[in-house]
Amino acid sequence: MSGRAGPGPRSALATTAALQSALAAEHAAVYGYGVVGANLSGSKQATAMTDWVAHQVARDTLEAMLRSRGAQPVAAAVAYQLPVTVRTPGQAASLAVILEDRVSTAYLGLVALSSPPIRKFGALQVRAAALRAAFWRGSTVAFPGLPASALTAPRQPEPGP
Amino acid sequence: MAAHPTRRAVLAVAALLPLTVTSGCGGVDVLAAPPRPAPDVALLRSAITAEELMVARYTNVLSDVRNPADGTPAGRGGSRAALAAALEPVLAEHQAHLAQLRSRLAVPAGAAPSPSQRPPAQPTVPTALGAAVTFLRAAEQTAAAAMLDRLPHAPASLAQLFASISASEATHVPVLDDVLLATGQAAR
Repeated sequence: MSGRAGPGPRSALATTAALQSALAAEHAAVYGYGVVGANLSGSKQATAMTDWVAHQVARDTLEAMLRSRGAQPVAAAVAYQLPVTVRTPGQAASLAVILEDRVSTAYLGLVALSSPPIRKFGALQVRAAALRAAFWRGSTVAFPGLPASALTAPRQPEPGP
Repeated sequence: MAAHPTRRAVLAVAALLPLTVTSGCGGVDVLAAPPRPAPDVALLRSAITAEELMVARYTNVLSDVRNPADGTPAGRGGSRAALAAALEPVLAEHQAHLAQLRSRLAVPAGAAPSPSQRPPAQPTVPTALGAAVTFLRAAEQTAAAAMLDRLPHAPASLAQLFASISASEATHVPVLDDVLLATGQAAR
């Protein structure tokens, strides 16, 4: 991002960059949910499959949005370094939470763009990811996707139990 | 030590002088009319008011849960404790939303006082606990949708905060669904 383009092109560049970031997060989630599902059984595994499909659908949507803007969608990596070791159902749920939190943060990047439809799309994806994260976490959080550094309140919000 | 404040005071007076001169002979007109809040301040205030209402609603329901009036159904002590335990974290999240929204409000001195400085009108909350939880569930959905409606007109960082709060409110709905299921009062 050179930042030297005019207002229109710069906004277009920012949109493409934010869409690519969201797509990269979705690629990682699609990969990660494969690991999540492999370490679960029963109804939890069924939920992981549903979430895995949701991320694939979101990935396809983002790729279509990028292509319609004349951009080449970023490709998935062959493999991803997982942020946690996953050998148990509890670790699988922890990985799902991390994946969803990262996806939420990436979609908040779309909410910062100026286009109202893209903002709305980003916000609805943040909501979907927050709902999935709450399931895997077993509790809710006050500010899905927002890192602590983005919060300005003197008092830290109390995390859920 | 003493020299610095003096020099600063002189500089400050010098900075004011052109204003005094251009405002004519009156001199009293140096101060312009109090600044009006920017449009996003109005947006922020509406979000603050909405969160105040949510905090008040949860506070009222929790008060009913802890101090049962006679004749309220679902009066098993265990379910009341479970209900309070489920609602308290949700209330804490709404309080965090409110604190964060208020922290973004930088009102210029002399601007019209914020309506949120007055306590919000007491919301009416159904007293039967199942009905109260169903009421909160609907309120969360409405609040989450209203927060999304504020997105198009908000500056970028505020839009991100609104989107995050809206998502948080959406996650409260399944929490309340679980409460309704656990208390055998499923919302149908």
